[in-house]
Formats: sequence, structure tokens, C-alpha cells
Amino acid sequence: MKKRLMIMVGLTVLAASIFAVNPRDMKFPPLEFKPTDPVRFETDNGMVVYFYEYHELPVVMATAYFRGGDVYDPADKIGLASLTAALMRSGGAGTRTPDQVDFDLDFMAASISSSSGSDYLNVGYSSLKKDVAAGFAMYSDIITKPRFDSSKMALEVSNRKEQIRRQNDNPGNVTRRVFYQQVYRGHPYGYFPSLKTIDNITGNDIGSHYARFYAPDNCIMAIAGDLTLKEVKALLKTNFSGWKKTGGKIEPVAKAAPQFKPGVYYAERDINQAQLRLGHLCLDTHHPDRFAMEVLNFALGGGGFTSRIMLEVRTNAGLAYNVGTYLYNRPLTGNLFAYCQTRADAMGQALTKITDIIKEIKQNGITEDEMIMAKESIINSFVFNYDRPDEIANARALLELQGFPPDQLERDMAAYQAVTLEDCRRVATQYLDPEHMVIVITGNEALFDQPMSNFGPVTKVSMDIE
Amino acid sequence: MRIIKSFFASGLILLLAAAAVSAQGELKIPVREFKLNNGLTFLVVERSTAPVFSGYITVGAGSANEKIGDIGTAHLFEHMMFKGSRLVGTSDYEAETKIMASEDSIWARIDNARQELRYMRINEPDRVEAQQKYIGDLQIILDSLAAASSEYVIQNEFDGLYTRNGAAEFNATTGYDFTHYFVSLPSNRLELWFAMEADRLIHPVLREFFPERDVVSEERRLSVENNADSKLFEQLIGTAFIAHPYQIFWEWQSEENNLSRADLEKFHRTYYTPENITVAIVGDVKLDDVKRLAEKYFGPMPVRPKPEPIYTREPEQQGERRVEQVYEANPAVFIAYHKTPFDHPDEPVFGILRRLLAEGRTSRLYKALVIDQQLCLDISIDVFPGNDLGDVHAGVFNIYAYPNDGVTTVQVEEAIYAELDRLATVPVDSVELKKIKNNIEADFIWASYSNIGLAGYISEAHRLAGSWEFIDNFRNSLNGVTSEDIMRVAKHYFTKENRTVATLVPKEQGGEL
Repeated sequence: MKKRLMIMVGLTVLAASIFAVNPRDMKFPPLEFKPTDPVRFETDNGMVVYFYEYHELPVVMATAYFRGGDVYDPADKIGLASLTAALMRSGGAGTRTPDQVDFDLDFMAASISSSSGSDYLNVGYSSLKKDVAAGFAMYSDIITKPRFDSSKMALEVSNRKEQIRRQNDNPGNVTRRVFYQQVYRGHPYGYFPSLKTIDNITGNDIGSHYARFYAPDNCIMAIAGDLTLKEVKALLKTNFSGWKKTGGKIEPVAKAAPQFKPGVYYAERDINQAQLRLGHLCLDTHHPDRFAMEVLNFALGGGGFTSRIMLEVRTNAGLAYNVGTYLYNRPLTGNLFAYCQTRADAMGQALTKITDIIKEIKQNGITEDEMIMAKESIINSFVFNYDRPDEIANARALLELQGFPPDQLERDMAAYQAVTLEDCRRVATQYLDPEHMVIVITGNEALFDQPMSNFGPVTKVSMDIE
Repeated sequence: MRIIKSFFASGLILLLAAAAVSAQGELKIPVREFKLNNGLTFLVVERSTAPVFSGYITVGAGSANEKIGDIGTAHLFEHMMFKGSRLVGTSDYEAETKIMASEDSIWARIDNARQELRYMRINEPDRVEAQQKYIGDLQIILDSLAAASSEYVIQNEFDGLYTRNGAAEFNATTGYDFTHYFVSLPSNRLELWFAMEADRLIHPVLREFFPERDVVSEERRLSVENNADSKLFEQLIGTAFIAHPYQIFWEWQSEENNLSRADLEKFHRTYYTPENITVAIVGDVKLDDVKRLAEKYFGPMPVRPKPEPIYTREPEQQGERRVEQVYEANPAVFIAYHKTPFDHPDEPVFGILRRLLAEGRTSRLYKALVIDQQLCLDISIDVFPGNDLGDVHAGVFNIYAYPNDGVTTVQVEEAIYAELDRLATVPVDSVELKKIKNNIEADFIWASYSNIGLAGYISEAHRLAGSWEFIDNFRNSLNGVTSEDIMRVAKHYFTKENRTVATLVPKEQGGEL
């Protein structure tokens, strides 16, 4: 019985392999779809609102974005935006004490989170539909009437200082921090809070930071969920119409000028890997060359397994699990970097492979196959910008916040379509600069296969907690 | 703290997804289920929010099924599944197979020669040099065979086909009792998904084996050896368990480095059987199309015997266990209490306890230790191995705390035990219990927000309990937990005898590195 079964199994397997269509020969037309746009409207006090209606689940999500962010922190008070944002959530609001806010939110399983990014501030909301009236009342209190309770300020300050004390515990975080400090030397993108800058922040600083940035005429709110437009307008009228305009305009911070010194920055940690991050400044969010550069980066190291650095360092050499490049276009000058974590005695080997590939692509550009792979991937995965309601609403709010036209996502697709091999070659020559990179190496030099000085002048970075 | 073995470094973490049911249960997840003749189960949710779908394959085997000596098999096999199949990743499968057979026999000789070398050093020292040269020569042959097979290998083609077809969220993860393979695609690529996944599930080809083994070693270095939390966690569960395979956090390098292709093929034959796999497809698809394609592509998957279950049960712990990990990081204390498997009547109570103690700012441990007493920077709880619906075998209930500067781990421990003791002696009031149940209901609704989260959740429920409807049963059991249950369970399980405490001790500051 058992034997007969085995023979039959053998036959089926054979049959399947003879008649199967090879997936590589399957051709699919481009997906045709027309994304539904969120509705945009403005309130009397100057809020811009995007609303995306969605009724599959009884939930409501919102994000209020504000121009502002960490880049506006004064150099001696780094951490101000982030501390203010945290205190809006934890320091009580309206008639509620901090404990009441916590209890009311937890009891209805709603979430409000307030945080500061480098280039904008945001306050997020989510709840079940049945709780949206109570939830939005609280959301409004947190945004428009935060109390900044002083005991909570002391707690937030102490937590932040503890986080700083622990900032060298994870080698990945060390590598990231040192890279940004060096590549954005002298620019707010390179500033990180220290025990000192946190101690410098006073209650008055928090109050004036809040007053400057959190205003209806500086706010774009994205809402998605199980509501009608009428319900959304009523919710906003009830909860946000008393919020006063300030008329103050938030001007952008100066763009980053290259002040970094190329070379090796060594962060000494007692670990058995070398963690590498190397790169330089690159394009800002609006730069017209960002499409060609995105395609180039895909082939260089941004496209996962189809990229050259991944193929060489991971697939062929087995030197790393997590390796590649990232093109990080930021509003005030972005950056391009390669990253890799490899066993300590392969540091030089891996670093050489990565820099050689960057040099090769700067010299010769990428191949047509590589370009096609990158473009097809970007274009065919476009639909994933539209697969979740909150993403759709948030994406449109962010575009407006960054000064893009409403159909920018569609324009992006056309721009990717139009990228040519010649464009890729040009941006490779123009923007890749393997001879002038900040190279951060975290690890124990006694274990490395080559001296770090093979890759440039070495500066040892202080690991002291200040 | 939830670190998962994945193929890609930026792996999605989906284990906590919960399911979609409305507050009063009027909405039910509209799952359609069918089974092929070979025993393979499909769960389908049709929904057209966007023209995309997620495909999610859950295999009911993972690292807990490995045998001592072959630790790492499940995870390395998961990685090798990205190397393609008979159709994808090769220009000439037959030619490639012959070379791989030669590679395997050379590897077996290297392995053997290394064992001999150890004894030669004692018994025949004059032969050591020749033996080392022999091993070196074999290694050169192995490398040249890899070079020869590269003539036929189409590198990373499996990934490339998905990538150029617009795939998102493409990855796989290995757990103790499961392995997941998942991806999201534009909805008109449904047949591509079937062709790709069926071929690698039925005919995986373990090409480019040796460099991938090194990649997995590097993943361990990154995720465990150079990560303070993981180092401490490895000690915590290694100490809490003495018998059950849940004790091994990650593969050991020594065993990983000696795995062979044959070890992996055996694992595939034993555990990747239709009865042991659940497929979930969620998104803009039609049930009829899924059925037709499932028959066409997965119908030929051969029936194989049901794999043996894991019989090992962890013996009752009868005294506190303590362990230290010295590391270049600030102090932390992790505490583990043995708990129950998914089908034990006390299991839902642990689901309540996790939320009661450490979910949200008003949870008891967070409020007491972080906000009121300011002893900790953060405190959190995990049920381990970590399925929200429970695990096949009895796991542990873990508390992780990070003391503030100047606070000792002993002070933190005492404050935690005081809170646990209070649970065992003072009943939880109805408002607090209602708060937790409100959160459970909300979690069930949010869980089906994304296609991939929902696909993972229903296939996991089926893998765990043999039916996706276990989600509903479990939700009802959670809702049925009373404050008496909480007291009883806290009293029974949160005892000194039943706990293991792991402490991270910082390497001396300012000392020589």
C-alpha cells in the first residue's frame, strides 16, 4: 500500500513539472484602477481637512499635521519639539487631569499619540466609531487645550534623560546617530538631544513652542473612517470651531550646506560585528532629479535582492544579512547612504565591495535590465499607496504640507515612466561621490581584517554621555 | 520585545494581529473555506477596498520541531525557500542538480575530515598538517563547484519576479511552531502567486546553499549577539525551560555551521505536507478563481504522512531560578512565569493579565513603576512564544523592565512582585475589567484592517486549533474571564517557585574594551 502511494506521488510530481507554466513567462497587463480621492475642505478657522470615507469596519482614524518639528529647536534646547508633543498627550487637557485623560482613552480603547518628526509635528487619533463623539472631544482638548502639568514635565524630562543614558546600548542606534551627526554637521538634521539640552528646557519654552506651532491655520488634518462628510463636518464644528487662528506663518529652516568632513568615524563598541553606514548629502524632496536617482538607487542597493550591493555582499559573499542603500530625500537636503553589518573580521572586505560598486556605477551607470526592473517595480507597486484608507488621506495631507500639487502621486508615476538610461548615467556621475563620504564604523578595531585608515583619515568618536 | 527570524531584515511583525468582529458580534469575518483532496486548507476573504490581495502560507512547523544537533534547520530552510524552485531560479535544473550532489558529497567529506582532525591532534600529531591541507583542498573544490553551478543559477529570480510585478510586504518568518510565507500583490497577479508559491512549496531547490548559511549566521550576530535585549532574553528562556524546545531562542552557530542540504530536505519532506499547511488569501479576489487556481497549482502536492507531534512537556518548576548576563549596556531585568498552552482553561486569563498589567498608561505595572514610583523607564509584558491566541505548548508569561538611573534591579523586582501579590489578594473591580474587555473587542475589530494582518490571523488560528473559528471561541473565553479567575490564576502561577529572573549586568563603565 505504502509503495503504491509512493509511485503515484512520483508520477504526479513528474506530470506537474512537465506541464507547468513557468512564472517567468507569465505576462500581466498593468493594473487598471482609478483611486478615489479624499474630499478636501477648509474650516472657518483655517484648518485644511482631507476626509476619506470608508465603511468596511466601524473605525475612525485621524492625523493632525502641523508645520514645525525638531529642526525648529534652538541649538541649546534640542528636544523641545519632542518634549512638547509628548506633554500634550501626557500633561492633561481641558478640564481633565493627566490621569483622567489616560483613563478615558484606555477605557474606550481609543488612542491619541502626539509626536514630533524632524520636519513636521503630528497628533494621531484612532477609535471605534461608537466612541467618536467622546474621542474627538478629547482629541480637541489635547490639541487645543493642553495643560502641561508640571509633575508630568518632570517625569518626561527624567525619561528622556534615561533614554540618553541608554543611547549607546544598541550598536545600530549608535551607527545611525553618528552618521547623521557627521553628515549633517552644523545643521539641525545633525542635532540630537543631550542631558544638557534637555535640562535647558523650561516650562515657558514649552508654552511658547506650543503657541507658535499648534494653530488651526498651521494645521492639515487627515481623517479616514466610518463616517459621512456631514458627520465629519459636524464633529469638527463641535470640537474645533472655538480654536483661534494665530495668523503666524511658519517659515522654512535654511537648507543644509555641506560642512561635513569626509573620512572614517569610529564608534568603539565591544561587539563581534562591524556595523557600517557610509554616504553623503544628496537630494531634497522637491529635486527634479529624484526620479532618476530613485531608479539608480534601486539598482545600486535600494531594490533589495535585485540590487547590486545585496547580490554581491549577501547572496554571493554571505557577508551580511542586512545590507543595501537608502536614498533619503528630505525637505532640507537629503542624503544617500549604504548600510551593512558584518562579522568584525570582514569589515574591510565588505566595505571594499560596497565602495567598489558605488564607484563602478558612478563610472558606468546601470544596465537597461536593471533600469527596467526598478521602473516596473515602482510602477506596479503604485497601487499600494492606495490600499489603506488612512494612508490615502495621510498621503494627501502630507503632499499639501510639503507644497506639492494634489495629483503629485500620479505625476510621480509619469516621471518614473520617463526616466531613461541616459538620465541614470547622468545622475550617477553627478550625485554619487564615493571619494568624499562619511564612513561610520561601529565595533572593535582589534578584530577588524584591515586598518580603518585604508578608507580615509580616522576620527574616534566620543561615546561619553553628556 | 519581539524579535523574529525573517528572511528580509525589515520583516513585518504581524503576530499580534487580531480579528475582525464587531462589538456585539453582528459582524463576523466572512471567511470561505475549502480543502483540496490532498488535505491542503484554503481560507479566503473577498474584499474590494483596493485592487490588491495578500497571500499567506502558514506551515505548522518551526524551530521547536528541530532535533538537537540540527538546531537552525527550520530557519535556514525558510531562507532557502527564496532561492527558487525547479522552474524559477535556474536555466537548467538537471545540470544544476548534478553539481549540487557533488557539493553535498564534498561537504560530507569536509565534515568527516574535521572530526578526524580533532582525534589526530591527540593520537597522530604528525598527520595533522596533511589533514589540514586535505580539508583546504576540499574547500577549494567546494568553491569551484559553486562557481560551476553559477552557470545555471539565475540569481534571486524568485524575488525579482515578485519585485517587478509590484509585490509589497514580501517576506517570511520562522517561529517555534510555525513558518510563514507572505506577500501582497496587485489583484491581477493572482495566478502568478499560485505558480510561484506552489512550485517552491512542492519543489524547493536549495541552490547557493553555503553562502546562505553564512547569511543566517550573520543574522544571528546582528539580532542576538549584538543586541542586549536578545542576549538577556536568550538567558531568560534558556533558564526557564530545561526540557522543552522553547528553551532555544535562536540557532546555535556551532550547529548552524554544520547543517547540510540533506538535513533541510528531510525537514521539508517531514513537515511541509498538505495537511500541515494552511493558505489564506485576503483581498480583491473571487472565491471561484482561487478554487480553480488552487486545484491547478496545489492539487499535485503529494500526500505525505502526518508528522509526529512534539511529546515533550516541561516539568513543573519547583524553585526560583536566577541568571545574569554581563553585557555592554545598561541594566535590565526580565522575569518569566510558566503558564499554559492554548487549550488550557486558564489560558484566556493570561490574555487578560497581560493587558491588565502592561497595556496602556493606566495598566498596573506601567502606572506603578513608570508613572507613580518612577523606578523604570519602561515596562512591558509578552506571552511567549507569542501567539495572541495561545501557543501549542505551555509557554511563559514574561515581564521586561528597564530601571532608571540609580534604581537597582532588586527594587524593580520588589515593586513588580508587590503588584502581582495585590492581584492575588484583592479582586479587580468591574470598571477595570470592563476597560480590558473594551480593548479586547477593539483589538478584534482592528485586526482585520489590513489584508495581510487578517490573512495571518485566520491562518494562524487554523494552524493552532484546526479551525479559524477558534478566534471566536477565544474571544468568548476572554470575555468570560471573571475577577475570581484573575485572583485564582495570579495566586497559582505568580509564585516565587514558578519564576525565572534574568538580570543584565553592565560591563564596567570606562574599563578597557
